[in-house]
Amino acid sequence: MNPAVGLFAFLAVSLATAVIGFYGLRISRTTGDFYVASRTVPPWWNASAIGGEYLSAASFLGVAGLILLSGTDALWFPVGYTAGYLMLLLFVAAPLRRSGAYTIPDFTEARLDSKLVRRVTSLVVVAVGWLYIVPQLHGAALTIRITTGLPSWVGSTAVVLVVCLTVVAGGMRSITFVQAFQYWLKLTALAVPVVFVLLVLAGNGTAPQAPLPVNPSGQAAAGVYQHISLLVALLFGTLGLPHVLVRFYTNPDGQSARRTTLIVLGLLSVFYLFPTVSGAVGRIFAPELAQSGQADALVLLLPGKLIGGTAGDLLSALVVAGAFAAFLSTTSGLVVSLSGVISQDLFGGSVRGFRLAAVLAAVVPLGFAFMTDTLALAGSVGLVFAFTASTICPVLLLGIWWRGLTDAGAIAGMLTGALLCGGAMVAGTLMGPGNAPAWLAQPAAWSVPSAFAVTVIVSLATKSRVPASVNRVMSRLHVPERPVVTER
Amino acid sequence: MTRVRVTAPRRAATAAPGRLPYPREVPEDSDAGRIFIRSLIRSQLRLALVVACGFLVILAVIALFLVYGPGVAETRILGIPLDWLVLGAGIYPVIGVSAWLYNRAAARNEARYRDLVEDK
Repeated sequence: MNPAVGLFAFLAVSLATAVIGFYGLRISRTTGDFYVASRTVPPWWNASAIGGEYLSAASFLGVAGLILLSGTDALWFPVGYTAGYLMLLLFVAAPLRRSGAYTIPDFTEARLDSKLVRRVTSLVVVAVGWLYIVPQLHGAALTIRITTGLPSWVGSTAVVLVVCLTVVAGGMRSITFVQAFQYWLKLTALAVPVVFVLLVLAGNGTAPQAPLPVNPSGQAAAGVYQHISLLVALLFGTLGLPHVLVRFYTNPDGQSARRTTLIVLGLLSVFYLFPTVSGAVGRIFAPELAQSGQADALVLLLPGKLIGGTAGDLLSALVVAGAFAAFLSTTSGLVVSLSGVISQDLFGGSVRGFRLAAVLAAVVPLGFAFMTDTLALAGSVGLVFAFTASTICPVLLLGIWWRGLTDAGAIAGMLTGALLCGGAMVAGTLMGPGNAPAWLAQPAAWSVPSAFAVTVIVSLATKSRVPASVNRVMSRLHVPERPVVTER
Repeated sequence: MTRVRVTAPRRAATAAPGRLPYPREVPEDSDAGRIFIRSLIRSQLRLALVVACGFLVILAVIALFLVYGPGVAETRILGIPLDWLVLGAGIYPVIGVSAWLYNRAAARNEARYRDLVEDK
């Protein structure tokens, strides 16, 4: 591929991000603006922004790459990513919005009336955020290396720089606009090349009857356990993701939080059609990428390979732009929510503290990204979902729906989940990919139920610690906002 | 006389962040108020669990059908294998419809609660 194409696409996306970010700067003035866009964002904007933030490197590059490697087994990934939002809608969206908290630690502190719970939650949230940023930076490194031939570190460093500048300049207000723009950019960047590729293939008369079920990598099919464990991680991991949750605070009320989630489900469903088609086309026409270990680059290389010429270059530029939109949006969403948490706990919640925290939140995972190696993107993000599902999910679900939750139960549950799932992740990494047994490679199926069980058992054993405010908080979470009665 | 409710009050949008319009009309320290709130929470939880379980059952049935269904491996629609079509596109409408039904039912539960409180 022409290296200028990749560079141009990256610069264009960064510039667009920065311009929208600075435009937002003029509107955001108070601390409230900085954190949650003052809750005046309409549902369509908000839903686009949530979609933009959620569709990360794993969705943009990883899903197609995994489909290339393992076929129908990989189709469960986008299904799980989308169905996770259904769970979020059912159990979390409206009550969490009504809680009025800015961040997950705010929520647990208010619900359980305990500073210690807040600290533990903050630690877990920061760990989740950092774990999730690393694969984004790996994706950026891969994209820069493949498309421009520059060394890998350029990609990840550039992403961190652009994110820091945007967040420090505008906070959440501009982030909302940036994210919404980036959802539509990502959708266009995947859809247009796929449509072109399909048209070209149809013109050659090759597409419809080509045999799909070839297995280019020769990888063994995943067993029933892996499927179940993956689905547990994706279904219950989504509702604990800090950058997704912070978005719900920008809805005006609980009902609109639900409406926003419904729109998000639609946006995600449309989006995932395109990586699926790319992966299927790649299985037929580019199986050699699977053997050379470049499966994650499939989406980037497909237009150049199947179309070529100037048209191929233009489409490649579009895909690279979309890929960077994915890295930038997810990373900046995570950085915003992490800096919300870090600045409130360390710097007293001022705007200056928020900026400092933003830099801290972005630079640490850059170090991790340099030290670790690129794994399959969809797989490594799947592990982060497992970690979230084992730590934040039990506390959120039980906190919203069960009066009996106590601070001791919440802390014990989070620590259990973090130790079990984190331990499995470390052990799996040490054994190396492919050597770890299935139950270690996909820990969610046993670590999530254990975390739930420990939370409930310890809460029951410490019944006297149920906070006195529980009735007031529960009614705040579930009672609908007062409607404006126009006529009586 | 009909009553028209407009949800999503503009007032909430302009209120200071962190300070929401608090539902003052239900003192949760009165016995009746507490019972209403408890029954609201219970009905919302039941609804969420029913939708979640229903969706998971559909998912399991689809997965089993794709693995064990007779002739699934050979079936193609417009040249696309059936399992690719179902997993790659067919499940998403199921998710969307579940979410839509849930939204309607959840809003209905809240409306019922409001009626109870206001007619008290």
